[in-house]
Amino acid sequence: MSQATLTRRGFLKSTAAMGAVAALGISAADSLTAVDPAHADEASDVKIYKTSCRACIASCAVLAHVRDGRVVKIEGNPESPMSQGGVCAKGLAGIQALYHPNRNKYPMRRVGERGGNQWERISWADALTEVATKINEISDKYGSEAISVSTGGGGNPHFSNVKRFGEAINTPNVWEPGCSQCYLPRMGASLLAYGAGKPNNLSFSDSNGWDYYYTDSPVTSLVLWGTDPSNSSVATGGRALAELRCRPQGLRTVVIDPRYTLDAAKAEVWLPIRPGTDAALLLTWTRWILENEKYDEEFCRTWTNMPYLINPETRLTLKATEAGLPGTDEDYVIWDPASNAPVVVTYPFNEGVAAPLFGTYEVNGMQCPTGGQLLKESCEEWTLEKGAEICWLDADQIERALEIYTDPNGQSGIMQGVCIDQYVQSQQCALGALNLEFLMGNVEKPGTMLQKFAPAPCKDQLGNTPRLLSKEKVLKRCGTIEHKGILCWDMAHIPSVFKAMKDGDPYQIHMWIERSGNKHVVLGNSSCLDEIVPKLDYVVQCFMYPTAFSVLCADLLLPTTEWLETNLTIPQLNTIVMRQAVTHLFETVEEGIIWTQIVQKCAELGNEHCPKAFDEAACMTTPFYKNEYEKQKQHLNKLEMSWDEACEQGVIQWATPEEYRTYQTYLADDPENPGKPKGFGTPSKKLEVYCESNIILGRTGAPWSQCAEEKPLVLPPASADYEPLCYYVEPAESPLTDTEYPLVLTEGRLPMYHHGTLRNIPYLREIYPVPEMWIHPADAEKYGIADGQWVNIESRRGKTHGMAHVTTAIAKGVVYQERFWAPELLDSDDPAQAYKVMNINVLTKNDPPYNPEYGTYTLRGFQVKVSPSDDEILDSVWVRPEQFQPWMPAPSDATEDVFDYGA
Amino acid sequence: MARNCIVVNLDRCTGCFGCEVACKMENGVALGERWSKVLTVGPVGEYPNMTRYALPTMCQQCESAPCVSVCPTGASYRDEKTGIVLVDKEKCIGCKYCMMACPYGVRSWNTAERCVEKCTLCGHLTSQDKVPACVKSCAAGARFYGDLDDPSSAAAQELAKYDDADIHTLQDAGNNPATRYIMTSMIGQWQERVEPKGHPHTAAYPMAE
Repeated sequence: MSQATLTRRGFLKSTAAMGAVAALGISAADSLTAVDPAHADEASDVKIYKTSCRACIASCAVLAHVRDGRVVKIEGNPESPMSQGGVCAKGLAGIQALYHPNRNKYPMRRVGERGGNQWERISWADALTEVATKINEISDKYGSEAISVSTGGGGNPHFSNVKRFGEAINTPNVWEPGCSQCYLPRMGASLLAYGAGKPNNLSFSDSNGWDYYYTDSPVTSLVLWGTDPSNSSVATGGRALAELRCRPQGLRTVVIDPRYTLDAAKAEVWLPIRPGTDAALLLTWTRWILENEKYDEEFCRTWTNMPYLINPETRLTLKATEAGLPGTDEDYVIWDPASNAPVVVTYPFNEGVAAPLFGTYEVNGMQCPTGGQLLKESCEEWTLEKGAEICWLDADQIERALEIYTDPNGQSGIMQGVCIDQYVQSQQCALGALNLEFLMGNVEKPGTMLQKFAPAPCKDQLGNTPRLLSKEKVLKRCGTIEHKGILCWDMAHIPSVFKAMKDGDPYQIHMWIERSGNKHVVLGNSSCLDEIVPKLDYVVQCFMYPTAFSVLCADLLLPTTEWLETNLTIPQLNTIVMRQAVTHLFETVEEGIIWTQIVQKCAELGNEHCPKAFDEAACMTTPFYKNEYEKQKQHLNKLEMSWDEACEQGVIQWATPEEYRTYQTYLADDPENPGKPKGFGTPSKKLEVYCESNIILGRTGAPWSQCAEEKPLVLPPASADYEPLCYYVEPAESPLTDTEYPLVLTEGRLPMYHHGTLRNIPYLREIYPVPEMWIHPADAEKYGIADGQWVNIESRRGKTHGMAHVTTAIAKGVVYQERFWAPELLDSDDPAQAYKVMNINVLTKNDPPYNPEYGTYTLRGFQVKVSPSDDEILDSVWVRPEQFQPWMPAPSDATEDVFDYGA
Repeated sequence: MARNCIVVNLDRCTGCFGCEVACKMENGVALGERWSKVLTVGPVGEYPNMTRYALPTMCQQCESAPCVSVCPTGASYRDEKTGIVLVDKEKCIGCKYCMMACPYGVRSWNTAERCVEKCTLCGHLTSQDKVPACVKSCAAGARFYGDLDDPSSAAAQELAKYDDADIHTLQDAGNNPATRYIMTSMIGQWQERVEPKGHPHTAAYPMAE
């Protein structure tokens, strides 16, 4: 294998550097000149492959046109019931990502110091041996928990398999910057309170809300709470809303967002909420619904735990044994007003008992409130006026929104966006929004957001193997005794992992294997990596192209595949959309194959834990696949066809829409208790408005704590109880008290980028070359900022820049900017500027307070100040379209896969 | 003569810029050049009565096309068969009169070939009964192609769903643009003309004086 050393200016010039390789016979130009003209004509037929995009998580069905082994065109595939032939800018630019001249093409080993950006090409065999040797050495010397593994949602991940990899190499310290800051809180709250959540929850942009993809859905109104499907799921969720709005009956919408997004602009009511105060508005809504008796009383009585009495001593539902009633410690108790006495609940509900939802009753010498009473007390102070004051809203507009949401002649639903996952009140907001839906009876009815439609026979996520880890290892997982909610995803708490890396507290982490691109762009307060990485012995990064993390941190780079080189099955409503590799370039390898190859190499070199990953008995679930063939089989799961057959169909309808849309599954007969309805997946089979499961989670880790020896594994309690009901706390940095940093910052999606990706795509960067910082004209005047001007944005963590966009599309007192980085600065004398110059995550906050349940840190709703900027570094940022020319695609011929297919 | 054009339903449009990229990929349009561009209009008005929308623009296929009448060489012309305004790049001498005459700023200078280009309604596709690339892949299903005078065309059928009051054109200075925009009161008030601003994404179509 040839050794090519890239110089300091390596990445931008990598086309030239690889020119040397090309001269050996794999250059695109060389192979074309060698083709006989007659043969070229014959070979120029275009073959169209049905595949699916992964420029973002929506995974829209596309048609890839391939000529002579090269992808020449991408179109939408109209067969998908979600994207219906649409594809957004990100997907259409997939060719530019695939053939980017700066793709990571081969395994590369760092030469010289970190940050020096000098690399030598090595073989995959050498790379695997090096990584596996390090894993085994560090595991033997310090314990396998001294290795940390991370991933992220951007850049074509094989998401759940990174956890599988961590468990296979015996480390509990797997994490990703989303998780506690993206999706887990909404999913976790739903699992606890609704008894379902994977994926049945209120996140529309994570491809839930399935009924809304059918225009015959009886939905009449929707509340978009901190979500902007037009930006975050353009061709799926954005398209669905467009279809619903354009029905003859239309769709009334309420948008709660500091930004006047294009979704807000189409809404009947826009509530430009102050970032960080969602819980206050949720409590205001709850109080108004209770006070105005808009809730569905019969549903609440029968299907929620609102009438259940609560034991004031345990804070949990009162049980028959505690009430002195005949029954067990699993029997719940309600108040019977007819007999003026407590009675045991007869599931699903005692016939003829008009148990009160509210009130406090004396039972066995205790004053026992109902769950509903505690809900009522939790929102008592939250009048419309108080909510309006705290949230910077107009009380009349809040009431207008509520009238739409509670219209007795309509069917509404709440779509809750990622904003609430991004600050300390993540779990509180998730529980608060679910309670609104429960109160209104918006559960599994035609037209509701919460649904349990029939599951697809295939799997996009293979699931992980938490029971591969021993109790000893699980107890060493950083930060999860205090923040047990993270165990829902079997991950670790990022600030706690970083503490271990930086301070050796409670033990030193020595090695980091990372896959997601640019951690500097997606982590809160990402400059903290400057102090952390020097403490690490060895850092591996797997990605498609170099990032700031590659240059500043990595010791070894492993090249991963783009989505056009990847295989996966994707459930979309009543269909499965196939993703198939339509080409393969250089020596890239799909991430999931990298993981299994490393584990196999570790085992081969004597690691005693790794072989268990391939042993079904040890995994107590499906074991790790060893190759692409086995991986495909696991993804196909119950779909009875070969991979090739599935790809040939491209979009496979496994059920009719009618078979798929199964409403009110909780009313179905319970096979375990014939004659009784199945109920919900909570311990009580009821919706937990009073979410005692949250308290139990904090005290024990149930229902998510498990290990090789025990399931459930009972953990020591967190330092304080997790609260069962939503409550409001003012953000730690608050505009009400902060005089030095007067503006509140919020972030939010752009339609042409996803997470930290795609800032190196010429046709996307020319549309949106630098991040806009939206500021209200009143604030712009106050701080001397003109439209189109570079500004400094500073927080207590650091300073960065943005391009001012002076607009009334942002609430007064709030500024908005999305994550960004400048790949063009990787080759500069100061490569750290690639992530620092215009990256909002230099400002965000990863210190306490954290969300109790998930340890969520603060990415939105903290304080900044702004000023005009003439910093010299800004001259180095590419803003003019022609500057992106070096990144225009350099198509090349397909190459053989690196590792054996396996069958 | 047929009035082939694109109809955009702004009630559907999400402002994703997909049409810009679809156009560039399909037609190999260079960096810095655009045949199709998405503008953002607004916000105008005071809370809570504000209007903001994305406005995708492209050649509006004017009936009295100023670009055709000012062209000294006949490079800008109307195709007799399809009725589409096109540029014959062989005849273009690069005087840019047409760019100045176009009321909507939707003609594009091809730096490499030193000639003017613009949206061709993807003639290479529509001549094979396919739809323009931007229409095919529109993420919101907001774009429709066809002859306004043919009631069976997708463009005419979409327009037929709406009242005249909800159907708009860019400001007509007697050039009679064919392209129609559907926008209802759900979004707010159609803006006849928005003053261009310095910022690339808040600028609306520049108007010829």
